[in-house]
Amino acid sequence: MAVVKLENVCRYFGSTPAVLDFNLETREGEFVVLVGPSGCGKSTTLRMIAGLEEMDSGTLSFDGRPMQDVPVQDREIAMVFQSYALYPHRNVYDNLAFALKLRRFPKAEIEKRVRHAAQTLDIEPLLLRKPRELSGGQRQRVALGRAIVREPDVFLMDEPLSNLDAKLRVTMRAEIAKLHRRIGVTTFYVTHDQVEAMTMGDRIVVMNGGVIQQIATPLALYDEPVNSYVAGFIGNPPMNFLDADVSEDGGRIRGPGFDFELEPSLQQRLSSRNQHEVTIGFRPEHLKPRTDDALPTMGILQGTIELVEQMGSTTDIRLTVDGHSLIAELPRDQTLQIKDAVELGLLAGRLHVFDRDSGDRLNVAVSEIQPSSVRSRQSNGKLASV
Amino acid sequence: MAKSRRVSQHSSRIGRYLLLACWAFFCLLPIVWLVTLSLRGRTETMVNPPIYWPHFTLEAWRDTFENWPMWAYLRNTFVAAIGSVLIDLLLAIPAAYSLARFQYRGRDQIGFYILSTRMIVPAAVALPIYILFKNLHLLDNPVALMLIYAAINLSIVTWVIRSYMIEVPREIEEAARVDGARSIGILLRVTLPLSISGVVTASILALIFAVNEFLFTLLISYTDSAQTLSVGLAMFTGGSKGIIYNDIAVVALVTFVPMFILTLLIQRHLSRGLTMGALKN
Repeated sequence: MAVVKLENVCRYFGSTPAVLDFNLETREGEFVVLVGPSGCGKSTTLRMIAGLEEMDSGTLSFDGRPMQDVPVQDREIAMVFQSYALYPHRNVYDNLAFALKLRRFPKAEIEKRVRHAAQTLDIEPLLLRKPRELSGGQRQRVALGRAIVREPDVFLMDEPLSNLDAKLRVTMRAEIAKLHRRIGVTTFYVTHDQVEAMTMGDRIVVMNGGVIQQIATPLALYDEPVNSYVAGFIGNPPMNFLDADVSEDGGRIRGPGFDFELEPSLQQRLSSRNQHEVTIGFRPEHLKPRTDDALPTMGILQGTIELVEQMGSTTDIRLTVDGHSLIAELPRDQTLQIKDAVELGLLAGRLHVFDRDSGDRLNVAVSEIQPSSVRSRQSNGKLASV
Repeated sequence: MAKSRRVSQHSSRIGRYLLLACWAFFCLLPIVWLVTLSLRGRTETMVNPPIYWPHFTLEAWRDTFENWPMWAYLRNTFVAAIGSVLIDLLLAIPAAYSLARFQYRGRDQIGFYILSTRMIVPAAVALPIYILFKNLHLLDNPVALMLIYAAINLSIVTWVIRSYMIEVPREIEEAARVDGARSIGILLRVTLPLSISGVVTASILALIFAVNEFLFTLLISYTDSAQTLSVGLAMFTGGSKGIIYNDIAVVALVTFVPMFILTLLIQRHLSRGLTMGALKN
């Protein structure tokens, strides 16, 4: 277990920045997920921690020990690769024992550790098989076994589940989470799948264009995204966005097909910024049928249903409001039909307001900004107001 | 309907096999002719029209092995060819790994330079090589042949192995690095075992080229203490006895058969290797 600290880490490919000014300090045994779209720099960051990629600037330390000049072989890390990268010419036992043999562990110790890892991952019967004789899920377990047998200070996982089918991915996701709880090693996990990120991470680092957008716990990311990028990336179905104008007196917010009354706290925050042209965001599950009066709403949206998706526990509808497409996640309802007019209420306190140009979230008052707890940068490298 | 389709499929398969059998016969005919030539008396090799079903005799085999230094030719060929392949592998494996994996200035130029040594017309360097080995006091010595064969084949051995090493996924090598292996360890424990087809292919090619080499062998060796089978073969074409066809057939078979068997044994490696080499840049 180690505290991993990255400070001002940058990496360029030619003149193109791959990772810009990356700052993060983990807690001991923390499970940190790096998430973002392809090319956002998450794998590059992981590879820099591993030592497989050089850092152009910045520092990296494990428990305060500088690591940037330590060769890969001498870092106490273990890595699970996207393609598993098992040694195809060695059997499972030898794959697991390889690192220990290189470190000249006594035979008995190697045997003990390999057997223990194999038991933990339920791959004992496979020890004499070659990787080509294993299924995808079994290979995945062997790759994990090869990592845990080392008993490393830091675990690095680069999209380890992306080659598995959907069902197996869910199973393995739970197993990795359980495994982490059991062995408690500080773990970096790279994925582009926000569901994996939300379900596995103690903290999530959302990246875009090589820049950290936000570091927060899963629920904090979901409830208080620092900008429209994070808001749109986290959540499935994704958040709805509409352009809107704040009234002169700051009491109302209007746009295509809606006119919402702003709650006093939000009024106060927006007026302190003196911002009238904004983008609003709200999650599909925060829209509810107008007939449902149990929960207070801040206004009504009128639209036409374009598509009805029965998900089993919920009914998702895609609707157009004044030419803009939105998604609503409603309680299961079999009466909704395509082309029906529909009126939906937006739950009070669930409105996110973003700067139309920068995408920064405006719900938070200027005085409440705590840059040390939540960092955010725009892709141009400027610090975003939070 | 289904029955007629089955009959048509069956006859088409028979047709295919017949065609392949004809082709195989056409390709193997020279070998069959060589075998029958080695098993007939000298007079039967020169009659016109030719005798297709001769009186079989081991006269040529006896003559070749008893009256000619065949064992010396075999020994020299074996020492020079196998030795040259070992030297090639010793030099080519690290060179190929370096060309396939490390980034450094001039890497591609070095790669091309290695390949370009194969493009020189052998006659152009024949005299300098003769003088070089004369000064080294290595004339008429199998060691000199070993070195020459190794030099001639080094480029192709390097490039074939390189093309296989490039195919080894980088992630596997990175996994080994994370596991604690250093460059040499990665080469020996991961990259080389995964490129073994390339090593086998390159070795066979180098062996065939070495056994076939004639010009430099003729130049460097002039007694049976260094002469190999390829030069030995030429000995049967002159002299007072004229051209001894059945003896030539024996020497040709002795040269050909081991290579043929070896090639059959590893043909899967070989065909893959040649195809890969053709498609690589």
